[in-house]
Amino acid sequence: MVIVMDETATEEQVSAVIDKLVRLGFDIHRSTGVRHTVLGAVGDRVIDWRDIELLAGVKEVLRVTAPYKLASRSFKPEGTQIKIKDVVIGGREVVMMAGPCTVESRDQVMAIAEIVSRNGAKVLRGGAFKPRTSPYSFQGLGEEGLKYLRQAADRHGLLVVSEVMEPSQIPLFIRYVDILQIGARNMQNFNLLREVGRLNKPVLLKRGPAATIEETLLAAEYVMSSGNHEVIICERGIRTFEPYLRNTFDISAIPVFKKFSHLPVVADPSHATGRRDKVPPVAQAAVAAGVDALLIEVHNDPENALCDGAQSLLPDQFERLMHRLRLIAKAVDREVAPGVEEAALK
Amino acid sequence: MEIEDWRDEIDRLDEQLVKLLNARSQCAIELGRLKRELGLPIYSPDREREVIAHVTGINHGPLERDAVRRLFERIIDESRSLERATVEKETNFRAKNAKARKVPKKRS
Repeated sequence: MVIVMDETATEEQVSAVIDKLVRLGFDIHRSTGVRHTVLGAVGDRVIDWRDIELLAGVKEVLRVTAPYKLASRSFKPEGTQIKIKDVVIGGREVVMMAGPCTVESRDQVMAIAEIVSRNGAKVLRGGAFKPRTSPYSFQGLGEEGLKYLRQAADRHGLLVVSEVMEPSQIPLFIRYVDILQIGARNMQNFNLLREVGRLNKPVLLKRGPAATIEETLLAAEYVMSSGNHEVIICERGIRTFEPYLRNTFDISAIPVFKKFSHLPVVADPSHATGRRDKVPPVAQAAVAAGVDALLIEVHNDPENALCDGAQSLLPDQFERLMHRLRLIAKAVDREVAPGVEEAALK
Repeated sequence: MEIEDWRDEIDRLDEQLVKLLNARSQCAIELGRLKRELGLPIYSPDREREVIAHVTGINHGPLERDAVRRLFERIIDESRSLERATVEKETNFRAKNAKARKVPKKRS
């Protein structure tokens, strides 16, 4: 932390600031300049910097280090790789996580699992408990839905990611899923974050629609400081003044997350755009920008989907997208798993 | 004198400076211990001002007054840090000992 004193600050005011910082456990580097006295506070104590900024004679306080520790890149410069069975998130492969927005029936999820796994996806996504904007919308199948997801994933060699909405659901979720998703609206549900932080299971943490990058990494810090270091950050679009699409996908957040944090980053172009025709270009841009995984909604019958049909890709659109992503990944020194047909050709 | 001679001279002076700075630091450590005993704060702004006034007062150049002040601000920073570390270490050591003494007492 660097404290710049006012030009008019008295020696007593400078002393008062030094005194406060020394009491808080900092070492001080004082530099009396021609106009401003600058104090460097050295130490890893976490304090509320506003307490210093409000002291008499202080012009400004500049934070040098990030308020998060475990999530910061300096904590693990080489980057985190999360290994679940034979899937590695945060490695060379850009992992595809795909599936329906909501589990609607056993047949539906079986059919979609087959489509996505045939095209190289490694993780099956699907909601069993849905946090819908309206209480009158379809709320999900509950445990039944988790069961179908697990069965479909096992049959096609996939992992399962699904959203857990509250701490009481955790015992149920750990029986069926491989990755726990924390939804955007729950990103600052600190109680839930602490609870999943006590588990030995990877957490996919979605950025809140109005959360800054720093707030998102602080949410990850909550999970990590409770003991669980396997967190995947998800960029899913933020709320801006642009009304055309549901959210504005923050493409630049990807390299920023990668710079500030060692955690793997996944992009969710389906929720970011809310329209299936806009999903492929955003997914392609996300891979080019350096994501470690993609979370994409695919539906075999989106016209009749119970939830977010408009943003789900049709099976043939998904296949075409995967083909393109393989080309783009290669251009940025990454790879996207081949589908069954490509694998057979090799 | 040649360049090398001047450099040798600087090296000899630096050796003396390091020796002197360490002797000064030893005083800071002792002072830290005493301050802890007496429950006095580590940071004493009045004393720091005195030190700066003293060294700038006896300065006859060629270093400018402000340059001497800046150099001593850094020296004082390091002394304060050393005093703080000493007090912290002593406090932790005593806390540990106090705990260690308590345990056998309970048993007997």
